[in-house]
Amino acid sequence: MAHLTRYSLTSESRRLILKPELLQINQLSAGYGPLRVLHEIDLTVRAGERIGLVGLNGHGKTTMMRAITHMTGWQQGSIRFNGVEIGGNRSQGAGRRTPGLVKMGIAVAPQGDAIFPGLSVRKHLECGAHTKLAWRERRQRIAQIYKIFPALDPLQDALVGKLSGGERRMVSIGRMLMADAKLYLIDEPSLGLAPKISKRVMEALWALPVEGAMIIAEQNVSLLTGRADRIVGMHAGRMRGDVGHVELV
Amino acid sequence: MDLGLVVYALNLAAIYALMAIGISILWSSVGMINMAHGATFAISGYAAWLVTGALKPVVAATFGKTVLASGVMAAALVSSALLAGALCGAVIYALAFLPIHDKPNYPVRALIITLALNIGTVQGLLYFFGPRNQGLPKIFGFGRWEIWGAKIRYDQAGTIVGAAVIMGLTLAWLRYSRRGLEVRAMMQNAEGAAYSGISRQVTALPILMLTGALAGMAAALLSQTIFVSPTAGVVPLVKGLTIALLGGLGSVPGAMIGALLIGFLEAIVGAIPFLGQRYVMSATFAFIILVLIVRPRGIGGLLDDTRE
Repeated sequence: MAHLTRYSLTSESRRLILKPELLQINQLSAGYGPLRVLHEIDLTVRAGERIGLVGLNGHGKTTMMRAITHMTGWQQGSIRFNGVEIGGNRSQGAGRRTPGLVKMGIAVAPQGDAIFPGLSVRKHLECGAHTKLAWRERRQRIAQIYKIFPALDPLQDALVGKLSGGERRMVSIGRMLMADAKLYLIDEPSLGLAPKISKRVMEALWALPVEGAMIIAEQNVSLLTGRADRIVGMHAGRMRGDVGHVELV
Repeated sequence: MDLGLVVYALNLAAIYALMAIGISILWSSVGMINMAHGATFAISGYAAWLVTGALKPVVAATFGKTVLASGVMAAALVSSALLAGALCGAVIYALAFLPIHDKPNYPVRALIITLALNIGTVQGLLYFFGPRNQGLPKIFGFGRWEIWGAKIRYDQAGTIVGAAVIMGLTLAWLRYSRRGLEVRAMMQNAEGAAYSGISRQVTALPILMLTGALAGMAAALLSQTIFVSPTAGVVPLVKGLTIALLGGLGSVPGAMIGALLIGFLEAIVGAIPFLGQRYVMSATFAFIILVLIVRPRGIGGLLDDTRE
């Protein structure tokens, strides 16, 4: 991160320092089979904080998000979420605890979108409403999603498998937003999208009226600068630099 | 082709569809090739036989030989078969899903365990009930209608209607209920389902019970045409598995179309004088292999117009 030389704390970031810690990752290692991807990672996320996670392809951004939701092959180390230990040693059962963690308040928009190709946009969004409250209010909440992404409004009954990449990304993010979460994990929201569309998706993300903290993994640093409270760099599975508001030189 | 042949074909297709849909749903949502589906079929048949056998004197004493009596017997037969099938599903959940579902190589392990359950069940039924065929009460009665010169037996008509009703209910449940939405989400993308808070451990139980009940329904309906025996589940299992493959594992409409195709194919091959019943099985397999060579994803691949 040699080019990220000058940085300063914004007033927004200073306000956040007083907030309680929502997620504390301590000495987390994770990987798949014999492959170790994460090496003793430490990261703290405060409530309401928006963090940009930058790093090259294959340097552990996605693996870190998957490790938080127990989707990696194995992991060790401590993850405290909202005061509860959700980490620990684990060598199998990838995905077994994921639905429970989602219900605890971790919402995910995974890389590759993980869409249901044969379901319509509306049914898709209904799937995201997994809490009792969200299910009861699902109509209002779906209308809210259509307000955030007006492009989805005319596609309500279209099968998601027939949509374009940008529309799928909106559906995936919309599904993530259906239930109130404390922590939102968004993996590469601009990946594979045309610059104009990726910009629109990012604008929508920053404008979200959500209370929770947010971690956005992104390779394009310029989409994060000025908007994220903090930018964290990853290199070769290790944390590299943890800086406040960054301006590119 | 006369009407009688069509009815015979639909009769076969109804039974096959009930089996194939269960296997197909189970594979794509839970990731299990359920070899114990045949055992579920046989146990449901025996459960219906035991219940109706025990109820027969009671019903005869209270209702006599009225329409109400046969109605009660029909309800007892169908509900006992459905219940036994659902219970078998719960047992399979406890033995072949829960202990191993997060272990590596789970599909193969599940295949082996359910195959063992299937063999064990057949041997158990042989031990307790002996190899004799058992006849169940005919809930649709004896007799036939004559329509346009074709003879349609009551049991054939009843099987087609009964299977259509049960399948319609299953599809409506999948389509309109919340649990059904979760099952469909799991069938289409397991990871996306996990991120939507849909737990495989929790959802697998109703799926296994539902598919078990479908096998039980197939057993109840087939018992109207043939006898119940310990090995009664083998042929329905083989047909169900191959038709589920033909339909493209995981595609419910594909499995239904596959069942219709195979039902008609068997009826027609059986009716051709120089071929006859002994060529039915080989014709079926030749057809399925041919389709899978041309369309490796089966019929479901043709229906599916979405991108992966």
